[in-house]
Amino acid sequence: MDSITRRRAAAYVCRSCIRRTYTQRHQRTYSSAVQPDIYDVVCVGGGPAGLSLLTALRASPVTSHLRIALVEAQDLSKIQSWKLPPDRFSNRCSSLTPSSALFLDKIGAWDHLARDRIQPYHEMQVWDGVSDARIEFNWAPDAAPSAGTTIAYMTENLNLTSGLLRRLAQLGGVSVFGNAKVENISFGEQTEAQDLREWPVVNLAGGKQLVARLLVGADGANSPVRSFAGIEARGWDYGRHGVVATLELQGQGWGGDQMKTAYQRFLPTGPVAMLPLPGNYSTLVWSTTPENASLLKRLPTKDFVALVNAAFQLSPADLEFMHTQSEGQAEEYSWRSEHTPFHSEIIPQAVTGVQEGTIASFPLKMRHADTYIGERVALVGDAAHTIHPLAGQGLNQGQGDVQSLANTIEYAVNHGQDIGGRLSLEPYLAERYTANHVLMGVCDKLHKLYSVGSGPIVSLRSLGLNAVNSLGPLKTFVMSQAAGHGTKVF
Amino acid sequence: MRSSLRHTPALLRHARAARPSCRVPLAAAVQSPTLGAPALALALAPASTRASSSSSVNPSEISHFNALAATWWDPHGSSRILHLMNPLRHDFIGTCRASSPTVTSSTPAGQLRYLDVGCGGGIFAESAARLPSTASVTAIDPSPGVLAVARSHAARDPGLTAEKLEYISATIETLPPGGGNKDFDVVTLFEVVEHVDNPAAFLDRCGEFVKPGGWLVMSTIARTWTSWFTTNLMAEDILGVVPKGTHDWRKYINEDELRAHFRGKSGWSSPRVMGVVYFPGLGWKEVRGSEKIGNYFFAVQKNA
Repeated sequence: MDSITRRRAAAYVCRSCIRRTYTQRHQRTYSSAVQPDIYDVVCVGGGPAGLSLLTALRASPVTSHLRIALVEAQDLSKIQSWKLPPDRFSNRCSSLTPSSALFLDKIGAWDHLARDRIQPYHEMQVWDGVSDARIEFNWAPDAAPSAGTTIAYMTENLNLTSGLLRRLAQLGGVSVFGNAKVENISFGEQTEAQDLREWPVVNLAGGKQLVARLLVGADGANSPVRSFAGIEARGWDYGRHGVVATLELQGQGWGGDQMKTAYQRFLPTGPVAMLPLPGNYSTLVWSTTPENASLLKRLPTKDFVALVNAAFQLSPADLEFMHTQSEGQAEEYSWRSEHTPFHSEIIPQAVTGVQEGTIASFPLKMRHADTYIGERVALVGDAAHTIHPLAGQGLNQGQGDVQSLANTIEYAVNHGQDIGGRLSLEPYLAERYTANHVLMGVCDKLHKLYSVGSGPIVSLRSLGLNAVNSLGPLKTFVMSQAAGHGTKVF
Repeated sequence: MRSSLRHTPALLRHARAARPSCRVPLAAAVQSPTLGAPALALALAPASTRASSSSSVNPSEISHFNALAATWWDPHGSSRILHLMNPLRHDFIGTCRASSPTVTSSTPAGQLRYLDVGCGGGIFAESAARLPSTASVTAIDPSPGVLAVARSHAARDPGLTAEKLEYISATIETLPPGGGNKDFDVVTLFEVVEHVDNPAAFLDRCGEFVKPGGWLVMSTIARTWTSWFTTNLMAEDILGVVPKGTHDWRKYINEDELRAHFRGKSGWSSPRVMGVVYFPGLGWKEVRGSEKIGNYFFAVQKNA
């Protein structure tokens, strides 16, 4: 039976009597009645966004007294103890901007990540696969690699989540419900002592009920919290899949271990990116058609490797042909590359292998929730927005959300506001919605711009890319934006 | 002791019958018109205690605020700008308390006892009760309708226990002074004094509840042409963002009048003031000097 309804039958009692019963309630203990389990924050979803939020709340002296619960479908203890040998890398990686890394450091999580598995990179090579127009994001030759010149840190998502879980365990004080299935989310009940009709109640399989002053949806693109709050997420599917894999290269990169470069080439089917990991390893993110994606997953390793090398080197026409072959791309690549002139150091070093079991794909979508807040509800990360991965900004957007929401909650606590109240949450919405919207729009437009294979748009976009490349200050600005420092625009 | 706030009801009636510039001594304190000043002085709707004696509570003011009760907690309703101002009240109290090292609190963890006079629907009272540094909040108001709203809204937050927050249907005249440790660290009168017929007597009565070293904190609106223009003509009559009949411009009190009142009393010191301006789309901001024009906070400390 519902533990809340059972507490007291709803009967009219005058206010002064309520005050008396109220006082009595604190003087004697009920053995029969089940008190509703009321939390200040119930976070559904233990991914990077949810874990960062709870870590931030626990780490701040202003919010550390809040009663917090975490609900996650996966086994969190497995994630916390996640470990791979030094020469194996997970295929799900994200590039953390320096501002995300700074935030993780501020909440004490950065030191809990396996630092030898994180690869900072300092330069970017981005070019148009059709026209070869290029923009090189590199620093002046005398600029030594340092935190100030780091564009981003390539990090395995599991390295991040397991580090956050270790930090959270160190801080303590969070009621963790792992392996937990959310049956449904409902509203509380009114009793004579309190009125919880506007408070969300998370009902877990097995009967556990968590009443939330603030329910945080960090529960991904198909967010049940978002559905509960009646918030629509609008957008479209790109008709593209992102193919990921952990690649082994011929060396540590043209700049050695100290100066790593990220590569991205815009092909008419979508951008293909190779991002550096420690040692000879790199991670691949290739946005392409679902047919091409399924071919890539089917191919023998040597043909897959050849097609990846071809993607950074050969013409779109060559590539299109190679995608029609069911196998034999290795031979095709070896003779075609001999006849394609290119400057080797502006494309990645040759791929020599791929780690077993790391080739996977997922559909690409663009979704944006109509709002991030409701009465006693806030959405963060993918629950609020799903972005095209071409700029590697998805996870960073989530970290930006979390930083803003944690600040908003801190302000509310300091000023006696109800942290679940819409009025208290408004600053979070105001700070994040437009910022995310602009970035999502830019990435969406970039995708569409570079999906065009020929014609005047190719000349125009190439002109733009070459122009940006020749303008030092503008390029520095773009690099600072990508790196998340400098004046904040996006 | 001379005080510009000590006008008699008879004087006030005369002033009402005449023009919005009162006779001596109020007239002497009326600011020169500040038309053309960029600031917006926005009158805030809810605040309902008024009393110069227990019998002087004006039924028309009470019924006015009773009628507003339903929208009190609607964040997009007529009380929105009041909700938006609330955090500044805490900031102001914080700067007052930080300005003086006197430890006033007698509760174990150094926690504070608040008395909120004219609490209305409880916007400030609830927020003060939620602060971890608060021992208790006693909130009083003579309007039964708004107190019912305050109580039912507080019942929606299980954190606001009876120990933390108590609403009493009372005026400051009918509230028995506690004395000693029962007195309050902070007595607040937010958007109240401009609704009171005899502010001098009202302030003196409120002051009795402040413990030595404690603070009497208030917010109100300066009586200027700007405030008449923005709070009465624009906010109530033309734009309608504040319910009509909320304010009587002639009852507005200037910051220097409050200073003079407390300077003339023994036992009070460290007056502090903070002028605030509402910028549409941005919210309330502190603007130095704006206390001469529109909305402002004022506080004095009772000598330890």
